[in-house]
Amino acid sequence: MFLGRVIGEVWATQKVADLEGKRLLVIEALDDERDPLAPMVKPVVAADPIGAGIGERVVVAFGKAARVACGGDGDYAFEAAVVGIVDDLDVPSAPSSWTSAEAPAGGAS
Amino acid sequence: MIIGTVIGQVWSTQKNETLEGLRFLVVRPFTTDGRESAETIIAVDPLGAGIGERVLVVAGRAARHVIGRGHDIGYQTAVAAIIDGMELEGGRHVGPSLEFDS
Repeated sequence: MFLGRVIGEVWATQKVADLEGKRLLVIEALDDERDPLAPMVKPVVAADPIGAGIGERVVVAFGKAARVACGGDGDYAFEAAVVGIVDDLDVPSAPSSWTSAEAPAGGAS
Repeated sequence: MIIGTVIGQVWSTQKNETLEGLRFLVVRPFTTDGRESAETIIAVDPLGAGIGERVLVVAGRAARHVIGRGHDIGYQTAVAAIIDGMELEGGRHVGPSLEFDS
């Protein structure tokens, strides 16, 4: 599981049946402040059964935990899901990007 | 799940028998800062994505489920959707392929 920020939403018409009606969010992990020369950021796409909005901080689970969060432990064609929307967090050493809804410095342009 | 752009296709004759008849794509992961990822991944494609198209790639059990041949098979990544577009924060629109991005 990781802490992430919702940066967007994905639309797809041609998809496997399991993904029908599933909201798919683009999520960037909240890591430490990025050095502009650091490796680029690959966002994760997660199913969202809760209804998180762009800019919100969320908890993302992988694997079976993600499938359970979307109702049942059956086989689904995805392996990441939003399992919680963060109200608040207290991490004294966290960079400012964790606590603001703004895009982190050096992030998406 | 990650987003990627299809950059090619792989053919292989001598392969594990559980891979017979499947199409393999070479996919380059999408990055938010616009730089090209140096990494490439191979994904089984049951949907028929073409070169240049953006796709959603799933891994592990989800990928085997997408292929629908049970779970004792020799692959771990699959294309689960062909992406029409993405709306990113700041009003940025990412299209089905590079030329539609704003």
